[in-house]
Amino acid sequence: MPPPLLEVEHLTKTFAGLAALQDVSFELEAGGIYGLIGPNGAGKTTLLAVLAGALRPTSGRVHFAERDLAGATAFTAVRAGIVRTHQVPRPFRTLSVLDNVEVGLRFGRGQAGAKAAGAGDAIRETAGAEDAALRILERVGLAHHANAAAGTLSVGDQKRLELARALATRPSLLLCDEVCSGLTAPETESVLLLLREIRQAGTTILYVEHDLKAIMSICDRVIVMNLGQKLAEGTPAEVQRDPAVIEAYIGAKGAKGANAAGR
Amino acid sequence: MMAAVAAADGGVPRSRSRAAAIAATLGACLLGAALAALPLFGIGPNLIRLLFVTLVWVTASVAWNLLGGFGGQVSFGFAVFYGLGAYAAAVALNAGLDPFSSCLLAAGVAVVASLAIGLPTFRLKGPYFAIATIGVSEAVRVVMTNVSATGGASGYRVMERGTFHQLQHFYSALGLAAGAVAISVLVRRSRLGLALVAVREDEDAAADLGVSPLRAKLLAHAIAAALTGAAGGIHARYAAYVNPQGEFAFAISVAILLMPIIGGVGTIWGPVIGAGIYGLVHEEIIAAFPELHLLIYGSLLILIVLFEPAGIVGLLGRLMRFAGRHRRRGRVRAASTP
Repeated sequence: MPPPLLEVEHLTKTFAGLAALQDVSFELEAGGIYGLIGPNGAGKTTLLAVLAGALRPTSGRVHFAERDLAGATAFTAVRAGIVRTHQVPRPFRTLSVLDNVEVGLRFGRGQAGAKAAGAGDAIRETAGAEDAALRILERVGLAHHANAAAGTLSVGDQKRLELARALATRPSLLLCDEVCSGLTAPETESVLLLLREIRQAGTTILYVEHDLKAIMSICDRVIVMNLGQKLAEGTPAEVQRDPAVIEAYIGAKGAKGANAAGR
Repeated sequence: MMAAVAAADGGVPRSRSRAAAIAATLGACLLGAALAALPLFGIGPNLIRLLFVTLVWVTASVAWNLLGGFGGQVSFGFAVFYGLGAYAAAVALNAGLDPFSSCLLAAGVAVVASLAIGLPTFRLKGPYFAIATIGVSEAVRVVMTNVSATGGASGYRVMERGTFHQLQHFYSALGLAAGAVAISVLVRRSRLGLALVAVREDEDAAADLGVSPLRAKLLAHAIAAALTGAAGGIHARYAAYVNPQGEFAFAISVAILLMPIIGGVGTIWGPVIGAGIYGLVHEEIIAAFPELHLLIYGSLLILIVLFEPAGIVGLLGRLMRFAGRHRRRGRVRAASTP
């Protein structure tokens, strides 16, 4: 069996003494879609921020594709192949949608290839990047907005743009923070389809979502967190039956109706 | 001010149409050629001096815009580079170095200063960065006032051998200003330019996509410092005298920031237009309102930031769009009337 893509060991992150992450350990195999769920304040977003290099862990080890990434900066994490999308979209508002994607293209892992191809010719390099950016926009269904200022997009489209920018960096691990929250049911369906396609193309996905239905429908395995600790891990069906998970989500008294929460 | 910088680009697509780019390049070449030919038409030495000073301002203004306009990092400390460049060139000229090498040295000294200032201050964001640059700038001025090797507060005289050729100074300033605009165009189109605008819009999101904000800011700061330092050097050679109250004055920092904002921050031509206007009217305004001229600049700054954050370039764009709509409407009316 090949070594796991990502190994997280005893990861702890404290803010002024308060533990947002406490001794979290798990592994991700290459090629899967992993769900990460948990009640509010469980530490899901903090975990993603640490993995993406936006936050420095207090202690613990992050081993990614044979490299030690604990405490790496965001841009080294991107070069290594980890990229995250934001829960609240953060587009470069006055730049065009196309330029937004070009940032990911030209600073992510694709940049080494682009540099070799257009050696020193800034303009030709730009033209190549523009084509590639358009292809990515087509993939997420935003090509018709390519020249619009990113700040003018609807929230749903801004979420697609988050995905497009992240994909442009050519990640091997995509960290998705609630890409479906705030979307209508058909929009959610199409984003889930997109995530499946992305996995099909070889990118491993760690997917944070409040919408349990979405998580259960596309994830191979689910990690459950509560109060900064890992509570459970398993297939969606296993996790849904786990009494500890049920208690964390709706309290011990409501345990009977717990299966309903998973639907 | 941050908002002004952020709003400046106004969603203009980075890749404009080819025709517009060619027109802009042609226009720039014509402007440069016209300026270069101007002295041949027997304009007086005083007008040449005014144009020389204006070109020095153009260089500094375009340089500031690299970091402040594209990168959104508002610095009140560019007098440091201007002054250090002026002093470095003055010392080098007195040591017998040729003018070109002296200006190169001025640029080099400014680059070293930009790294020393940038490394600690770029950890700060937004207004905190702006305030830090004021502190650094004032500190450097006080130090230079007390350095006896360069005459302290009484300043330092440049003694160059050979005869004075005003046109030689004029053409060196024109060449530097043209170079600054060319660098500005190249930076805007480059990977660095993309990194800078991304950092301006959202620094953390840029980092999450693989941009190193610190590297982009340091690089833009260094390029801007080199140009500003060289501009200071060229001016020092012309004036043949530098002093801390003049070269390191807070008013210099404010002027370098004011010009791109008047013209249109974050654009290629805004800083050129702003500096052109400032350079040409500044002395008249001082002469007419010796007590009030700073108040006038302050009020102007507030008005621009409030009503037209994209400066004159933004105003022109708005007028052109308005005229275009008007013309279209006129055509529609003409077509519909039998």
